[in-house]
Amino acid sequence: MTFLGRDAIEVDALVTDRYLESLLAGHAPATPPGRGAVALDEDVRIAADRLGRDLPRFHPSFRFEERLALRLAELAATLRLPAAAGAEGVVVPLGGVDPSAPFDPFLDDQAAPVTLPRPLLIGGAITSAALSIAGVAWVAWRRSHPGATPMARAVRALNAARTRFD
Amino acid sequence: MARPALRKTGAAERTAPRIAHLDRDRALVEAARRDPARFDALYRRYLAQVYSFAYYELGDHHAAEDATERTFLSALANLHRFEERARPADGEGASTFRVWLFRIARNAIAMQRRAERRRPTAPLEAAGIVADPLDVEGDAVRRDEGAAAWRAVGRLPSDRRRAVILRFVDEMTTAEIAGVMGRSEGAIRVLIHRALRAVARELRGRGR
Repeated sequence: MTFLGRDAIEVDALVTDRYLESLLAGHAPATPPGRGAVALDEDVRIAADRLGRDLPRFHPSFRFEERLALRLAELAATLRLPAAAGAEGVVVPLGGVDPSAPFDPFLDDQAAPVTLPRPLLIGGAITSAALSIAGVAWVAWRRSHPGATPMARAVRALNAARTRFD
Repeated sequence: MARPALRKTGAAERTAPRIAHLDRDRALVEAARRDPARFDALYRRYLAQVYSFAYYELGDHHAAEDATERTFLSALANLHRFEERARPADGEGASTFRVWLFRIARNAIAMQRRAERRRPTAPLEAAGIVADPLDVEGDAVRRDEGAAAWRAVGRLPSDRRRAVILRFVDEMTTAEIAGVMGRSEGAIRVLIHRALRAVARELRGRGR
């Protein structure tokens, strides 16, 4: 295509585009182009009018619309959920070997023992200590309050007889 | 439709404000960002447009529904990524919400089409207008004309058909279509002009 040919189609396309702007805005220009202006191709105008008039816009079924609206609402609810308890914190590495660091098999230093600082598990320590204290208290209480079941009585009698014969 | 305004766009441009295009959907988009449940307004506004686009592209109601569903779910899930920028004519990556939504729709339709290749369906011209249950008592001549226009559009090459559908059915501007299709405004104008000439030839061949 020559430059002139390319220019011509671009000018025609521009004229068509202006006509479509007016057509789709609801007011096709009725005035003829002025002297020297490029006129819109009649076939193109007719085709544009036909498409503007005859191509329908489709709407999905009401059932589909509401079903998708429901799915979107469910998705929106999950997007709105607040972060879980503790999720607002920042993960802090404990030092020593960083497991996320890339491993280089050609570096011997990586095989050497690494001095790891002792990790602090504050919450776990408190929990363990609390469990231990509770356990000791429970054992002491059980010894001072022997059970009243027949089996417990039999065990106590056997234990007392053994200590007597010893 | 939209008005130009001075605002900052993007982290890289914080020091250099630029002219940006304030989308007509800006208030709705911001509301949906604050509360995702408010996305419903955007959904209701564009449902028919996206669905029509998908239906014209895929030629099947069920396939169009699937593509539409995928489009809106993806749009809501990725709304935080949407960045309101300058008009497509203002440079690469320019976007408004509708252009952004239709880009998602285009991808969803492409995915649907790939799936449909494994399960062929009736072509576009075999569906639709004649099957409209609301138009049983309509004017037969008008229906025939509508079907002829439909057929003529259905026979266009895919890029021309897409541009025509976006222009006539979704009533997008040339700039918006350029944004959706990733081409220049000039290229879109020529595409539509050639499409109309082809449709004119097709209609003339039928004796109009």
